Amino acid sequence: MTSDPDEELLVRIADGDPAAVRALVARKLPRIHGLAQRMLSDPAEAEDVAQETFLRVWRQAPKWRPGQARFDTWMHRVALNLCYDRLRRRREIVTDDPPQVPDEGPAPDRGLEALDTGRRVSQALAKLPDRQREAVVLCHYQELGNIEAAAVMGVTVEALESLLSRGRRALRMALADLVER
Amino acid sequence: MTKDEFQQLAEAYGGDVARWPLGLREDAALFTAQDPLSAQATLAREASLDAALDTLPRAPAPRELYDRIIADAPAGRRRRRLWRLWLAPAGVGAALASVAAAGLVLGAQLGQQSAITAEASAQAVADLDVSAVAEEG
Repeated sequence: MTSDPDEELLVRIADGDPAAVRALVARKLPRIHGLAQRMLSDPAEAEDVAQETFLRVWRQAPKWRPGQARFDTWMHRVALNLCYDRLRRRREIVTDDPPQVPDEGPAPDRGLEALDTGRRVSQALAKLPDRQREAVVLCHYQELGNIEAAAVMGVTVEALESLLSRGRRALRMALADLVER
Repeated sequence: MTKDEFQQLAEAYGGDVARWPLGLREDAALFTAQDPLSAQATLAREASLDAALDTLPRAPAPRELYDRIIADAPAGRRRRRLWRLWLAPAGVGAALASVAAAGLVLGAQLGQQSAITAEASAQAVADLDVSAVAEEG
């Protein structure tokens, strides 16, 4: 097994080294915050998830045992679980005023051309089934390897590939006017 | 690797073979060498989707979030460190007190020893004087 690049920092954090705390946050926060943003499409919720993930990290660091799993994989799993909690809560709350759901399509007074590509991608991603979005986010945006992404999702590599293919196919359809057929 | 397999993998992992799983890249290169037109068309199609996905905006984590997370970091350990810091001057004080005490003991012992040495020397001188007188006599 390859050594975990985060292990040394975790040992120092467990020993109360504030420099190691800052180093870990600098290393991981952009990734975890990005993951939550892409999963939730809500900046405030993404911040909450990132902060909560680190609270778990501080609790776990003194107990972390090398060789179990890569710390980055574990952290992704924690952040994803927190994202799922929030997605589930959104579905449970039936309301006339849905909370910050991304725009589902062009408004009558606003043509497709008024929306930039990034916003279109954001909408298409938000419309994917959760597991497909998770697969695309982990592999394309977080750049996890297939084995690592499958481990985070708790599925086989074959299942991951299937989720990826279906997710990307749906994105291609949603962005048909922007991508090569 | 067949054409179908190559397409399925490209649909899953995208148009850049360098981002495919390591174990598949060699077979993908072989297929590309065997059927370059088909391979390039498949990869170009997926690469255009990758390029669109890469336009997804991502706001950087705000500075306040970074600060909040740092503030959440193990307070217990910080307290332990502060406790250590508090102990440090106390330790230095204790060390100085020990040195001072050791100095006093050593000083007293040296004083005692000096007195003994002086007494012995005086006795020796007295002895010498006596013997000298005896020889002269």
